[in-house]
This record gives sequence, structure tokens and C-alpha cells, in this order.
Amino acid sequence: MAGSGTAHLRAPEDVLLRVEGLEVQFPFGRGQYVHAVSDVSFDLARGETLGLVGESGSGKSTTALAVMRLLRTSASSIHFDGTDLATTEGEELRKLRPRFQMIFQDPASSVNPRRTVSQIVAEPLKLWRRDARDGWKDTVAEMLDAVGLDVEATGDRRAHEFSGGQLQRVCIARALVMQPELLVADEPVSALDVSIQAQIVNLLKDMKDRYGLTMLFIAHDLAVVKNISNRVAVMYVGKLCEIGDVERIYARPAHPYTRALLDSSPRLRVDRSEVAPAVTGDIPSPANPPSGCRFHTRCPHATDVCRREEPVMRQVAADQFMACHHPLVD
Amino acid sequence: MTLLDVSDVTTWFGSKQGPVRAVDGVSLQLDRGRTLGLVGESGSGKSAFVRSIMRLHHPASVARYDGRILFDGTDLAQLGARDLRAYWGPRIGIVFQNPMTSLNPVVRIGRQLTETLRAHLGLDRRAARERAIELLTWVGIADPERRLRAYPHEFSGGMRQRVAIAIALACEPELLIADEPTTALDVTVQTQILALLNRIQRERGMSMIVVTHDLGVVAGIADEVAVMYAGRIVEHGATADVVERPRMPYTGALLASIPRIDAPSQSRLPTIPGRMPSLVAADGARGCPFAPRCAHATDRCVVEQPPLAQDDHGDQSFACWHPLTPASHAPVAQEMES
Repeated sequence: MAGSGTAHLRAPEDVLLRVEGLEVQFPFGRGQYVHAVSDVSFDLARGETLGLVGESGSGKSTTALAVMRLLRTSASSIHFDGTDLATTEGEELRKLRPRFQMIFQDPASSVNPRRTVSQIVAEPLKLWRRDARDGWKDTVAEMLDAVGLDVEATGDRRAHEFSGGQLQRVCIARALVMQPELLVADEPVSALDVSIQAQIVNLLKDMKDRYGLTMLFIAHDLAVVKNISNRVAVMYVGKLCEIGDVERIYARPAHPYTRALLDSSPRLRVDRSEVAPAVTGDIPSPANPPSGCRFHTRCPHATDVCRREEPVMRQVAADQFMACHHPLVD
Repeated sequence: MTLLDVSDVTTWFGSKQGPVRAVDGVSLQLDRGRTLGLVGESGSGKSAFVRSIMRLHHPASVARYDGRILFDGTDLAQLGARDLRAYWGPRIGIVFQNPMTSLNPVVRIGRQLTETLRAHLGLDRRAARERAIELLTWVGIADPERRLRAYPHEFSGGMRQRVAIAIALACEPELLIADEPTTALDVTVQTQILALLNRIQRERGMSMIVVTHDLGVVAGIADEVAVMYAGRIVEHGATADVVERPRMPYTGALLASIPRIDAPSQSRLPTIPGRMPSLVAADGARGCPFAPRCAHATDRCVVEQPPLAQDDHGDQSFACWHPLTPASHAPVAQEMES
């Protein structure tokens, strides 16, 4: 199978989150299934930011939703601080929820347009801190202040009065008001202009330091991911290709797909010489994924073994693991 | 030789708050065979401007157009819809961001291509079909005979954009306008489409305006760059000059705020405080629109609007009273490295 195996996982006692063999399938008629995520494993140490990159259809967002237990998974374990979220249900799961929170790509569609900013940020407190009603107001003001919004000026306003960047700040405040240990951020800056994107990326880094967050940061922009992450995981059509230290992987990618992604990322270097695109063709559909290594249909190094056998994760450097039969470094 | 000579184009949209000046006195020239990258953040007026060149806005949304748009010597601003049709397609082609909205979902690709060819070039059915196959081959679509019978939904995003490019090029226009042509695409596909546009531009020697928010895209495709802010062009020059030695502080700050793939992880990104001003005419201040966010702004910037002009350092134009100098680039570079 492309990108299976758990060689890259660390000892369970060293990590906050350990996802093993994650499988997510969506039915699409006549008993058929799309394998959106297929046998993906990764872990996150406390205080670490893992960047999850890949193109559309790679299963990044599905992975995020599965970690948040917002989707049904099969044959997987999602250990969060020792508890397997995949098998936890009902009230027990609900009690854990304040400890892992999420922010989304489009802040406008993830807040209630009829609520004021203060109400939006107070909502988690309403659910979880019924006893300490008096403290809500101060907590909300503190949280808004932390994300750079003034409660006096913004607290009574509603979503439509804000720009995308400011609204993303509101969403960050709402996600952090319960002081979670894990923050899952699904493309939180993709819809923003670059100057605003830089503000939000800086804010997320500040919040991480201030509250000691562990973060799963999803983006398709490799430069943003490098800036914010300690480690990076590369996904392709529902599989993990490569995972490890961000500096190491960006400097010496071992998987041809990682290399292709890095080569395709636009750089601010003025160069109009005819460069052949790193890879040809399109991403295959996860409804009908290629056999063996899923990247073989576009890979310049593919051979027979790639079509037949799925490569297994193995170590190529201190903190660099990849699943490829013909790695670029060994 | 100048193909497009635009002067003082202003476009007003109606809104509840009053007229909005989306494009504010834009002037530029584009020579034949050149590619211009038009960059800016959302609301900077870049799309509104290129659509104004073609008069593509819905008449109900536009309150007023001003200015002169000389295309190969003819002022498009003076033409009515009927006369403009001789330009739309045959002489100026356009590619939009989302090919799914510019292609008709219930009409086969073949017909969408041949329709253009038959309407504008008067080709008969057979000749149009042959030309359509040629065009699809040219934009890199395999098995074009069979693909002519396909519907847009049977294509991937990248392939749809190739079809949209084929349609825009069907009549061999002298100017191709591409409005965020790769924004909806994945990076590996984006590189393919940019390479295709580069190749076509070179083979045909046509002029191209590529509108994008991504300075990385511009660096790879454009000969020259115009940076827009609040409806105005604030800097214009050769791509290498603008990207490597920006003079307008906005361009400098924008470039600095882009995360670099070759910068070390965890570096702090320089940001631009605040946001773009409202373009509602009544709120319009007299000064430089970037002054409230600019680190170099003085009293003069607030009251007097700087014109887009060159100085004696080179052939870059910029609209600023206190332009960055080669010396002031050093701190920008340092900030990015730290």
C-alpha cells in the first residue's frame, strides 16, 4: 500500500496526539466508497506545530475533521492524551471537546451572522462554565484583547461589519477561550490577502507561545506552512508521502511528490526561462485511486514496482520519513 | 509598438453608501508582444480595471465610466455594444478565474469552441471542427477528437482552464487578458498553466495582461508589473525592478509580508497595519490612499496625492512623495531574513 506503516511514530508517552491507521470513507452510491483518507498515521508532541500540506483531494481537511471527531472513521485510533477518541462516545467525548478546538478557512461561514462578537466568543463559556457566569465578561474581553480586538469597539458588532482578517481573529478567540491543548487550523489564512495573512500567521504563532498550544496547521501554501510549522506532513490522494522536520524536508525532500510540490511553489525570483513543470497531469480521483504507489501516474521515477506495490514509510534521516520505492535521498 | 494606450480610466459603481470609485484615474501603455502583470489585494480595483478595458461590467452595476481606451488606435470607450463585438473575442480574448462559470455546463466542449469560430471567423462546420481539434491539441489536451464530445464537468479544473484558454485564443486575439487564471488551481497544475500561457504568448507574439494577487505568479510570467492600491496604479516598471527594488512603500511592504519558502522556519513576518481605505467617493481623502498605513507618511502625504511619475534613478514609475531608495531596501531585506 503508498504511504502506510508507522515507522515514523514516536513513543506514545511523548506525544499529545497519536493518529494510527486513519481511514475515512464516504459512500457514493451503489455500495461504492471514496477512500478520502487511507491508512494515515502521524503524531504531535506537546507544543509542536505540524503542517499538513497537499493539493485538493489529498484528504487534508478530512484528516482534520476526523481528528476533531466530527466524522466517522473506521479501523483507526486517535489517541488524545491517552484516550482513544475514535472509540469514545457521548458524554465522555463531549467532556473532552474543550481540550481540542478548530478554526476554519472561511471565518464568515463559521460564525452566526446574528450574534455579536461578544456572544460568539462567550458561547463556549456558556456551554462549559455555567457555574462562573460572572467571570464570562472578563474572560471574553481578555480573549478579544489577546487576538488584537478591542472589546469596547468590536464586542457589540456582528460578522458583516468585519473584514475577513478581523473575523478570523474572532474565530481564533472563540477557539481559544476554553484554553484548549490542541488547535486544528484548516486553511485559516488561505482566503486572506497576503498582508492580512502575515498578521494572522504571526498571531497564531503568538497564541501558540502564550497558551502553549499544540497545533495541526493545514494549508496548501508551502511557504506559509514552513513559516509556522516545526514538522511537516505531505499528503497525496488520501495517503501520507513524507513527514518530518520542516527545514530538513524543504531542503532535501525524499519523496518525488514533495519535490514536485516544492518546485511548483511560486518564488519571487524573476525568471522567465522555460522551465518544464515539475509534474504533468492532474491529481487522480480518490474514488478510483491508482494501484501501488498513488503517485506513480505522475511520477517521473515510477517503475513496475510502483504500480504493483504500495511503499511503506521508512526513515531516511534523523527526523525524516517517507514512503517511496525510489527516494531522492537515501 | 503600443497596442493598448489607456489614459485616466475611472469606473464608478453604484452602492447604498453612494458611488464607489473602483478604478481611479488609471493610465498605462502596453506594447505588442509584452506581458503585463497587474497585481493588488482584494478591492484594489485590478479586476474592475481590466473589465473596464473591455466594457464587460453589467450596465446596471456601473454608474459611470470615464477615460480613454485606445486599442490599436481606436477608442473603445466611444464604441457601443454592437461595435465592441468586433473586439470581444477576435481582437481581445479573456480568461477568467473559474472556468466552471465561464463554460456552459450543458453544452459540449466542441460546440462551445466551434460556436466562437463560426460566429467570428465564419468557418463552416467542418473547418471549425478541424480548427477546434487543432486548438485543443495546442493547449495540451490529449485525444482532442474524443474530448470535443465531453461536457465541462468531465474535465478537471486544470483541463477546464486549458479549454477556456483555447476558446479565448480561438480567433487569435492580439491581446489576452487573464483574470486570476490560476487562483483556483493546485500549485502543480498552476505551473502547467503558466508554462502554457508563456509558450502561447511567445509563439503568437500577442500581448497579455495577467491579473493576480500573487506576486510569485507575476515574477514567472510578466515582463512588467503594475501594482494597484485603492483603485490606482501606485507603481509600474520592469518586473525585476519592481520585485527586487520597489520604490513605493506599499509594494515594499507587500513583498516583505509574503512568506518565503527559502526563509527559515519560525521567522516573524513583517505586516502592514490597518486595511485598504473605503472607495466610496464621499469618504475619499485627498492624499495618498496608502498614507494611513505607511511607515514613511508625512503631513504632505495626507493632503496631497502623489502622481504616478518617474524619477531620475530609473525607468520605474511610482506614486509616492517619499519613495524607498536603494539604501532603504537593506532594512526590508534584513527583516525578511531575521
